[in-house]
Amino acid sequence: MTTPRKPATTPRRGARPTRRAAPAAAARAPKPALSSTQWGSRFRAWARHHKAMAIDSVRRLLRYPIGSLLTMLAIAIALVLPAALWLTLSSARLLDAELDDSATLTVYLQSRIDTAQAGRVEQAVAAEPAVKTTRLITAAQGMADFQQALGLEDALDGLEDNPLPASIVVTPASVAPEAMQALSGRLEALSGVDEVRVDLAWVERLRHLAELGQRVTLALGVLFGLGVLLVVGNTIRLAVESRRREIEVVMLIGATHAFVRRPFLYSGAWYGLGGGLLALGLLTLGGRWLALPVQALAASYGAGFSLPALGIGGSTILLSCSTLLGWLGAWVAVTRHLASIKPR
Amino acid sequence: MIAFENVGKRYGGRFEALSHLSFSVGRGEMVFLTGHSGAGKSSLLRLIMRLERPSRGRVVVAGHDIARLHASQVPFYRRQIGVVFQDHQLLFDRSIFHNVALPLEIQGASPREVARRVRASLDKVGLLHRERALPIELSGGEQQRVGIARAVVNKPSLLLADEPTGNLDPQLSADIMALFEDFNRIGTTVMIASHDLALITRLRHRMLRLSDGRLVADEGAQ
Repeated sequence: MTTPRKPATTPRRGARPTRRAAPAAAARAPKPALSSTQWGSRFRAWARHHKAMAIDSVRRLLRYPIGSLLTMLAIAIALVLPAALWLTLSSARLLDAELDDSATLTVYLQSRIDTAQAGRVEQAVAAEPAVKTTRLITAAQGMADFQQALGLEDALDGLEDNPLPASIVVTPASVAPEAMQALSGRLEALSGVDEVRVDLAWVERLRHLAELGQRVTLALGVLFGLGVLLVVGNTIRLAVESRRREIEVVMLIGATHAFVRRPFLYSGAWYGLGGGLLALGLLTLGGRWLALPVQALAASYGAGFSLPALGIGGSTILLSCSTLLGWLGAWVAVTRHLASIKPR
Repeated sequence: MIAFENVGKRYGGRFEALSHLSFSVGRGEMVFLTGHSGAGKSSLLRLIMRLERPSRGRVVVAGHDIARLHASQVPFYRRQIGVVFQDHQLLFDRSIFHNVALPLEIQGASPREVARRVRASLDKVGLLHRERALPIELSGGEQQRVGIARAVVNKPSLLLADEPTGNLDPQLSADIMALFEDFNRIGTTVMIASHDLALITRLRHRMLRLSDGRLVADEGAQ
């Protein structure tokens, strides 16, 4: 390595040299600086080379269309799974938000109570200060709902008595678990009340599930992201190897590492972008393919549910991530490889 | 332009390619470097190109102590030196024009500037009419002239050549040397490693003779 000897006597004159012009300070004798161009023209040259390399790398991809497509497809497949999971999760998060509002207590009344008595119990419940709203579901109404939700009309028509009790759905003022527990205790003590069920547990369980889903998606995202890095890295490694001679020659005549790296970084970014676009296509196709049975299934439960789509925001994120991953994979591969390439 | 101060170069700790080498070459000089193969000619050129660092002593080229150049400065240092290789080191996937244009593209010259200087350079070596050809379509002598055109296209202050006439017949070799003399005449410092003693003694330039990594003769110094 260079010996960090300090020029003890010669003071450096003038402005502090820029990084590229630094050799002017490295030796003592008067000599031309190692950079001659102005910043403006240097920037134009830099932009020109970027443009040239962006186009050149596309041309190289198109020269081997099948190979490039296969690489992009591998990237796309690696991206589809975490993206699909993320979509599922985002729809679960929607449900979760709805469930937050529907954190309720259900007060089941004793089965022998008639409708008038049920009305009085509802008034007593509503008188509780911790209760926000109440909704009475009579035994007959409960039966009707039950039949509709499950499509069991024929089977239940055979029953002579309505086995369902009347119930009151209570929305509490506070959804804090302790407050709901206390309220449920007080409501259970009212006369005519058989049982109070707190639906909070389900909300909690769903929240844990969502948390689990988030973590699984994150872990898979990281894992498959690494997969994309490896796919691009390996492709670029081969590309660097096939252009080894060219790299050696340009380094001999003064190319910087950045100059050598640039075309490969563009290749990597294009692979990533192509893979991202293919992944979007696969997600759309998959969504279309699943939409019909999902809707039929939801309809059979009397619910309207459609598969979530990525949308413009999600697509942008997916494409940026895939492009960035491609670029990064290329950067790692080229940088590792450049260290081993020494001009002869 | 070039100063070697008691330079030694060892490879692998044992083999001493160069030892106690001291000489200097002034700006605008033309110098031949000679000696049998393995005498250290290539090692010496590699030091100047900063492909290697000296194990001992100091190598100063155009005012830069090459051992003290940071890796990030090396590319900019190399752009000041034009190098002609024995095997041309041309890229076979692109035309003569684009081969010669390479140093200018690396430096970021504008396309118009590139075209102008590449054509001037090709014209100088007499190959302007072949600019669209691929290197493979050219004879050995022509390929070597393309290599020279590429080496001088960015007007380096120092021109190095490693056995530039290695595979050429005497007439072509003489033509190539005449080209180098032309560049020297317009002020370029030229250093040519060659073992073609018959040719280079006839040219009457300064000659550094190496043997076993030592400087054994410095003849014809001006």
